[in-house]
Amino acid sequence: MAEFSATVYQNEFLPDGGTDVHAIVSVTCAGAGTVTPMSSASGEAGEIIIVDVSGSMDVQGVRAAAYAASAALDQIVDGVWFAIIAGNHEAALCYPDGTSAAMVRMSPQTRLEAKRSLQRLAPGGGTAMGRWLLAAGQLFGSVPTLTKKHAILLTDGANQHETPQELSWAIEQVRGRFQADCRGLGAAWQVEEVRRIAQALMGSVDLIRTWDGLPEDFAALMEQSMGRGITDAQLRVWAPQGAEVLFVKQVSPTLEDLSSRRVEVNALTGGYDTGAWGDETRDFHVAVRLAPKAVGQEQLASRVQLAVGDEVVAQGLVKARWSADSLLTAQISPEVAHYTGQTELASAIQDGLRAKALGDDATATSKLGRAVQLARETGDEAATSRLARVVEIEDAATGRVTLKRNVDKLDEMELDTASTKTTRVRQQ
Amino acid sequence: MTTEPPPDPTDPTDPTGDTDGTPGPGHPTGDTDGPPGPPNPTGDTDGPPDPADPSDPTGDTDGTQETAPRSTGEAPDRAGPEVADLEVAEEEPEPFADGPPPLPTPMLVLDGTLPDEPAPAPEPEPVDHGTCRCGGAFDADGWCTECGERRPDPRHHFTAQPSPTVAAVCDRGIRHSDNEDAMAVWGDEEGRAALVVCDGVTTATRSAEASMAAADAALQVLTSSTDAPAERLVAATSAASAAVERVGQDFPDSAPSCTFVAAVVEDGTATFGSVGDSRGYWLPDQGEAHRLTTDDSMAEEQVRAGMDRASAEASPLAHTITRWLGPDAPDQRPAVTSVDVDQPGWVLVCSDGLWNYASEPADLRAVVRAEERRVGPDPLDLAQALVAWANDRGGADNITVALARTGGGATDRPGEEAEPTVETAYPEENDAPAAGQDGTHG
Repeated sequence: MAEFSATVYQNEFLPDGGTDVHAIVSVTCAGAGTVTPMSSASGEAGEIIIVDVSGSMDVQGVRAAAYAASAALDQIVDGVWFAIIAGNHEAALCYPDGTSAAMVRMSPQTRLEAKRSLQRLAPGGGTAMGRWLLAAGQLFGSVPTLTKKHAILLTDGANQHETPQELSWAIEQVRGRFQADCRGLGAAWQVEEVRRIAQALMGSVDLIRTWDGLPEDFAALMEQSMGRGITDAQLRVWAPQGAEVLFVKQVSPTLEDLSSRRVEVNALTGGYDTGAWGDETRDFHVAVRLAPKAVGQEQLASRVQLAVGDEVVAQGLVKARWSADSLLTAQISPEVAHYTGQTELASAIQDGLRAKALGDDATATSKLGRAVQLARETGDEAATSRLARVVEIEDAATGRVTLKRNVDKLDEMELDTASTKTTRVRQQ
Repeated sequence: MTTEPPPDPTDPTDPTGDTDGTPGPGHPTGDTDGPPGPPNPTGDTDGPPDPADPSDPTGDTDGTQETAPRSTGEAPDRAGPEVADLEVAEEEPEPFADGPPPLPTPMLVLDGTLPDEPAPAPEPEPVDHGTCRCGGAFDADGWCTECGERRPDPRHHFTAQPSPTVAAVCDRGIRHSDNEDAMAVWGDEEGRAALVVCDGVTTATRSAEASMAAADAALQVLTSSTDAPAERLVAATSAASAAVERVGQDFPDSAPSCTFVAAVVEDGTATFGSVGDSRGYWLPDQGEAHRLTTDDSMAEEQVRAGMDRASAEASPLAHTITRWLGPDAPDQRPAVTSVDVDQPGWVLVCSDGLWNYASEPADLRAVVRAEERRVGPDPLDLAQALVAWANDRGGADNITVALARTGGGATDRPGEEAEPTVETAYPEENDAPAAGQDGTHG
């Protein structure tokens, strides 16, 4: 049986009149087990592989994508429901090849058939990812017993055959219905576009530089998904009457602002879907604004819980104590400081690259310089080395950089996609 | 068949659910995908199936030839209507050796129709963990589910009413985060009573445990011995002192200590014993009110040295006590006094959390009378009222009040000077409430 635990890192002391309480709540799951496809008690698992078969994929790319999908099929546990979507400006059901929108259970027989079906894929047409997402939602909906729904989406190009509004609309339609890990192949896709999909669907986004990296990545993604035996968990944040939840963010392993995912659990508690869990630790940054109390008073600022189904499986208490002792109130929790820096780092990278793309070199230099500085301050060496491929670092401490000429587009995209990956707090 | 796509009731051509592409009986060539039918040079796969297709007399069960009933839009370009060779595909495919294979049949184009999401399950019933003063419920985690206030420690406010004429309330007050006062009381139907109040010394550690242990130990002696009250008080003080020392032994790095005041009411006499600055008063309904204890405090020494009492009790050193119970106490013998209480009135023992706001006996009696007029003669109601009165004045210290009604019991005295002849009978014995401390919090 899975065991969850929650640890709170915060400075609970507030100065006289202080209102804002910040805390990092670290939630760990152990013993999650693997997906249990045949168990009716906990529901069933479904996987959909969405491969881009647009014309830009070319014969070579489609062949690689089909091969990668085949590798992912090998990781899907027998009994799990699955389907394969071939996506271009439409979404076609590659497998199961029937006459209606349906999924089938994995078995040696269906795995073989699915691989055979992948042979039918050929490049052609455009790209309309919104339709792919809607099609995946449709297929998942065809099996009402599914509680864990996960998709892998591969694209190689920008969403050219849909308006941004159509894509946004489609994302909103499927938000919360399933999880999707998204992969972009090569340099022709739009990081922000695919990140938007991944964030809405509680999944990761990553760059695959060349097609030969695909099969390994797909297999790893599917293996990870099969290892997520907790099918659906919700973060719950309670704040007292009259208080305001300023934000709720996942800050590790990746940065996701969950605030907009809030659904009401009760008048004082918001629920934030976190998708499926394996054996892992995720850190959340919760900020609550309280009505100030007198010095010496204390109160509970927030209950931060993880709920699986209707059961709360872990809880961390975020507290507030008002004190006149400035030695106590001036301290910032190292964990809060670290993740605040990592959050700012991600914004600085994304803002800097956006400015660079628009030709605003002054803003780009300043933002990416700040990013270099923050990466140094938060000890994020991976970010520093990714930044160093896009800017010349003259002085990391002050953030003095110049933009490199002739930057490899893939390096820039990798910096962008990896901007939301955070490092954990260094042990003091 | 091992594959189980949910059967499509709209598909009359699929009675067997055969989806695996095994050649049907009508396909000796191994063509699983049905005959190509008429050539489809435009690549348009969205047209309705051709029911009249003469080349498919068996009603090909794999259905792959049929196009999606709900498909929309243009299908992408696809390979021509070539037929895959199934004989090869019986083995694990090695699919991509020679480029993409021909696309034998059109794929179903999905229209993306999303199902309705299921309604969320209802919230489970909450478990009762008590009610906060804001009206919200306390959670199992010890905090209010509405306002976030911490659930009070039962030690912070507890009451006792062992008989209809005896009650006590011990309260944390407002300023202190802990309640180091303690009390233990006993009473019976004949109006006998034993009242003990101890006030833990804040500067010593474990004083909350020490005062509670002392009060319990003292009451045990006061209610189990048949010695004269004065001797019993001396023995009770020794027992209380020993209890404090035991707490100190459990926590050897600390020297817990507390004050002690006790009153024994029986046979028309109240006998008081005290160490420290907790007090005993006799507040008769008629006649003069008296304080029966003398503080062992710097304030009292200053009074003895000539300072007026109000100034002395307001001085910074006023609450520094000169005698106490505890391992490091120089002298633990109680000062014992007694007074006749064979008339209606109140025997009151209290900690300084109460008398700080009404030190003189006449002042305290006025407060007691005013509160008694407001809440009635029940000793528990009155003790609660006196604690609330002290909290209204700032609650600067822990507050403990123990009361015993004398001389005919609680009265409904209407006015300032009640008639001494008024006597209210006790309730019948059978209706008497059970003795003992209730330990509730509020």
